[in-house]
Amino acid sequence: MRGQSMGQTATGMKKRWGAAVSGLLLASLLGGCVGMGGNQQATGASGEAGEKAEGPVKLTMWGGVPPENGPQQVVDDWNAEHPDIQVEYVRYVNDDDGNLKLDTALSTGQNVDLFVNYAMSNLDKRTKSGVALDMAEFADYDIDKMIGEEAASWKIGDKYYGLPTTRNSTFVALNADALEKAGLPIPQEWTWDEAREYARKLKESGFRYGLVQHMASFSDPLDSAMVADGYTKQDGTSNMDDPLVGKWLETLNAMMKEDASTPPLGEQLTSKMPVENLFLGGDAAMLNIGSWLLRSSNNQKDFPRDFKIAFAPVPRLMENADDYTTSGGVGDMISINAKSAHKEEAWQFLKWYADGGMMPMAPGGRIPASSAADRDEALKQMLGDQAATYDQASLEYVMFGSGIPTFTRELSQEMVDMRAQEYEKYFLGSQTVEQATANMVKQHNAWLKKSK
Amino acid sequence: MGKSWLKRQSLLGYAFIGPNMLGVLLFFVLPAVYSFYLMFTDYTFMNPEIHFVGLDNIRRMLGDDLFYTALRNTVVFLLSVPVSIMLAFLVAAALNKSVYWKKTLRALYFMPYITSGVAVAFVWMLLFQPADGPINGFLRAIGISHPPGWLSTTESSMFAIDIIWIWFMLGYNMIIYLAALQEIPEELVEAARIDGAKPWQIIRSVVWPLVSPTTFLLLITGLIMSIKTFGIIQAITQGGPGSSTTVLSLFIYQNAFRYYEMGYASAISWAMFAIILLFTVLQWIGQKRWVHY
Repeated sequence: MRGQSMGQTATGMKKRWGAAVSGLLLASLLGGCVGMGGNQQATGASGEAGEKAEGPVKLTMWGGVPPENGPQQVVDDWNAEHPDIQVEYVRYVNDDDGNLKLDTALSTGQNVDLFVNYAMSNLDKRTKSGVALDMAEFADYDIDKMIGEEAASWKIGDKYYGLPTTRNSTFVALNADALEKAGLPIPQEWTWDEAREYARKLKESGFRYGLVQHMASFSDPLDSAMVADGYTKQDGTSNMDDPLVGKWLETLNAMMKEDASTPPLGEQLTSKMPVENLFLGGDAAMLNIGSWLLRSSNNQKDFPRDFKIAFAPVPRLMENADDYTTSGGVGDMISINAKSAHKEEAWQFLKWYADGGMMPMAPGGRIPASSAADRDEALKQMLGDQAATYDQASLEYVMFGSGIPTFTRELSQEMVDMRAQEYEKYFLGSQTVEQATANMVKQHNAWLKKSK
Repeated sequence: MGKSWLKRQSLLGYAFIGPNMLGVLLFFVLPAVYSFYLMFTDYTFMNPEIHFVGLDNIRRMLGDDLFYTALRNTVVFLLSVPVSIMLAFLVAAALNKSVYWKKTLRALYFMPYITSGVAVAFVWMLLFQPADGPINGFLRAIGISHPPGWLSTTESSMFAIDIIWIWFMLGYNMIIYLAALQEIPEELVEAARIDGAKPWQIIRSVVWPLVSPTTFLLLITGLIMSIKTFGIIQAITQGGPGSSTTVLSLFIYQNAFRYYEMGYASAISWAMFAIILLFTVLQWIGQKRWVHY
């Protein structure tokens, strides 16, 4: 009897607990829904409220640079000067997931007033969906004049949907001490054949690798060739079997396999080879990379080195130097959200940012593109107390003096990936040059047909 | 009286499953229905225009070389499931009885399963390094002059992933087998032994048939889980080198979240669903031949 009643109480207890728990779950779920709805309303209303209320205008800027590498300092500087317009910096990682996060925020109307685009393919999507504001709305800033003619590579349908803010440079960073020892001059212009020779000699002088390449720069020579000869032939079909493509494939392949002066691609990819560490640690004599190297090379604590760094332009595939263009130009294209409630304030901030407000980003390799910003000051800031560890003449040459025209890659992400798959198969030995280029052409043609 | 008690009970029942059903409805059923609709459109994320395109996405899929590559890679990947199950059975049979450090060994075999997938990925990437990784170092030391390139060649990369996956699944399969082995009546094994059966005969003819329902369960869940696997491959190879480790789930991810082609990705997802369904139905039909309840 007693046992039974105990049991009953116990089940009764359980039931009540169960009901309480499920009630809680339900409440939290409903609460979640209500919360979401409420939030949306709040965002929707914030615009009107912001215009009427006396409080400071709040702007949110999304960018891919970690806050501690400059952006936080930039918004702190602005906020101190402008108590009525307060900017908050949100970092997104500039990869697939990060861009997806930003695009989701943009298309669901979350608070994003300004956002930085790092690739043409991203800006293109955002422009098509109508979230990037046409800069023609603001008449008080001549982008072509202030940023220079290179800005035009960011135009879509003859319009600017943002303001390019940095001067992007790509280059080959050189171990100046090693070059001097091997009797090799710092090149001011060179072909891949010459670069191969350099890599071979430097490898012989005791380096593990003569040349390593950052994967972000790896396929730039292909685009450089395509910019010169066209991505498509006159009849509108793919030009990816251009002789220069084969030239690039064969030269690098020989460097990987015959000379062993550059890491085999399969090994580099699957070990996610840290090329900056290899170069700064003295295992590789040359590094094909861009201005973001400065973030690491200025940091002697984590990347100690005992040699001077010199700089050379990226080698060219074609014989004729006049046909050469290099990846770079201007970048960090900052757009204003077309749905922002504070476009005017966002524009004020953006102009200030481009014309020198972004100076704290210089130590990370981001030199302002605007002619209103002080270039020498930016260079000084960029090198900081490490200035003596660089060959400054060659740095200024590759950044400002080489006169090589630049391009911004316009090839779609799908085709960039397709191309990478085919050249990977070639470098890994599972197809020939002819097969690789034929496959590229085949798939590029299918793509051209589909997107017509 | 009785009726109202019953009514109360069933109401309570609904209250219990309610939150879960709501969750399933919101986060599973609705998206699934929506993706079925998207399959017939050219919807790309960020592009507000949606057009109905009929069967274009399916036609495109059937004409897409990469789809077949992904399909082939998925099949190679699924080979790891039966291999892992067989290995797990052998390990479980050994660990079920007279072995020293039994409990420690069980824990060790289970460790991979509870370790973060990304950590696992990075450790294996180091182990598999073709030039100076420990695995190839060992192979060279025992006289193999040209060890495989593992993850770094298009021919071997999918098999390298298989090895990682077998190792990863082993612990889970083993634990389930251990539970099944505990259920086997000692008398049956003893009777076989008295009849003069050798240990491997006992395992083959007595133990293996008796755990066949477990094998079946592991096979079905293992195949479904593996075909959906995405994280570990994304962390290790992102589908490369070339497209040699692009399995269906990765192919869907790339189309949806890298290229934003939601319509096309939906079509591939439903193709994958059809494949899982077909696999499972075939197994249900086939099980009558070898599963003994």
